[in-house]
Amino acid sequence: MHIPDGILSAQVCAAGYAVTGLATWYSLRQINRQPNPTAAVPKASLLTAAFFVASSIYIPVPPASVHLILNGLLGVVLGYFAFPAILIGLFFQALVIGHGGITTLGVNAAMMGIPALLAYHIFQRRNSLGKFLGEPTRTGLFAFLGGALGLGVAALIFLALIILNIPAQLDGEAERAAVLTLSIAHIPLAMVEGVFTTMLVLFLRRVKPEILEG
Amino acid sequence: MGAAGLDTYVHRDSVIHRWSPRLKLISLVVLMFAFATVRQLALVPWMLGLAASLYGLSGLPVVFLRQRLSYPGLFILALVVLLPLTVGDTVLGEWGWLTLRQEGLVATLLIVGRFLSILTLGFILLGTTPFLTLLHAMRSLGLPTILADMTLLSYRYLFEIAAMLTTMQQAMGLRGFGHKRQRWLHINRQTMEQLAMLAGNLLIRSYEQSDRVYRAMRLRGYGYGARSAVGQRATAQPNTLSWGLTGVVLAAAVALVIAEGILRQGWMCQAWMCQ
Repeated sequence: MHIPDGILSAQVCAAGYAVTGLATWYSLRQINRQPNPTAAVPKASLLTAAFFVASSIYIPVPPASVHLILNGLLGVVLGYFAFPAILIGLFFQALVIGHGGITTLGVNAAMMGIPALLAYHIFQRRNSLGKFLGEPTRTGLFAFLGGALGLGVAALIFLALIILNIPAQLDGEAERAAVLTLSIAHIPLAMVEGVFTTMLVLFLRRVKPEILEG
Repeated sequence: MGAAGLDTYVHRDSVIHRWSPRLKLISLVVLMFAFATVRQLALVPWMLGLAASLYGLSGLPVVFLRQRLSYPGLFILALVVLLPLTVGDTVLGEWGWLTLRQEGLVATLLIVGRFLSILTLGFILLGTTPFLTLLHAMRSLGLPTILADMTLLSYRYLFEIAAMLTTMQQAMGLRGFGHKRQRWLHINRQTMEQLAMLAGNLLIRSYEQSDRVYRAMRLRGYGYGARSAVGQRATAQPNTLSWGLTGVVLAAAVALVIAEGILRQGWMCQAWMCQ
């Protein structure tokens, strides 16, 4: 779910960089407000590398397999570090394997990073909005929402960008139909991402709960 | 991860290798954006020619580009197949239920042309500049300290963590994971749980390692006034060759944008007169 170079116009690419610049500035401002921001840098960096590697894990769905994005999970675990982490991960992917692109780096980072920040805020509300639920249901439910919405929102942005930018001659009704059909097709993927995030967060809660406190 | 040969060609000697990293980064990124503005088919050969000339000057082998084109090429391949058959009203040819349309074909040629040209420039940048040098160049252009440190540390541990995952997956395979037959279009809950634990273990190991890394960095002064792990490397002043190459590439970028504007205006005038 990365937009390669050559698809989007220079204006859209520039707008993507502007949004990414703003979101990075906001994330770094929140990070610098922490008591010791440098202390969290090695943790966020190694987890960024680990997420980048973990996104190569495929869930087998014979005869094919489902590729995980993990941006919701990144938001849940890394908080405000999630946006810089996604930006760096996408930069590596563009440079190392040519996945995504340099001109589309801003658009791709905004597309995956903003839903990750949304997932972080959803997960942080588990103790206020989910106070009527017991543990571990509360953590599991909010992790599911974070994971599923992280992917769901990113998929919606991806589809809207692709369909509105590629075929200039496609009529409006066909565009709307295509967005709707492809969005519905992404619902099972969002469910898989949500369930995987829940399983992983509950595992971390059991084995290493301090990872979820960041 | 397909990254084994990332730095293989960075120590060669060519004019692009000798180009000052900071000027090279600025010039190639500006040219990439100029390529992204192209909407006129007539400019595609010029764009491809420019990218091919720079690639030729870099002395990088064709196999370096070919290896890296295979992955993103899948998405582009889907567009190449779909667009000429679905987009546009001008029919170029019909074979049974297949209809080749002019507008879709033009859109495809433009997308493929831009994709190949921009990607080639990206690989010229990567293939002729060591990653650390590139990071220093970005830092000197104003990359924030936290981003620079995170990029450096993530890159340092990326391949180590990838090797860790390979070992863990091998261990799982040896214990019988993935050998059981699964029903088609069915996600096995147990399989998913085991994969979640695999990813979780990877995160825990990385988290524990990060603690050791942080302690080692603190002992070396990180956080006590040393502003960044990347630092500001004193860079040599760009030579005449670097300024010359920068001038040529930036002029080409500006020329492309101007040509695009002129051609678009001409095309719009033609369309208006036809009405």
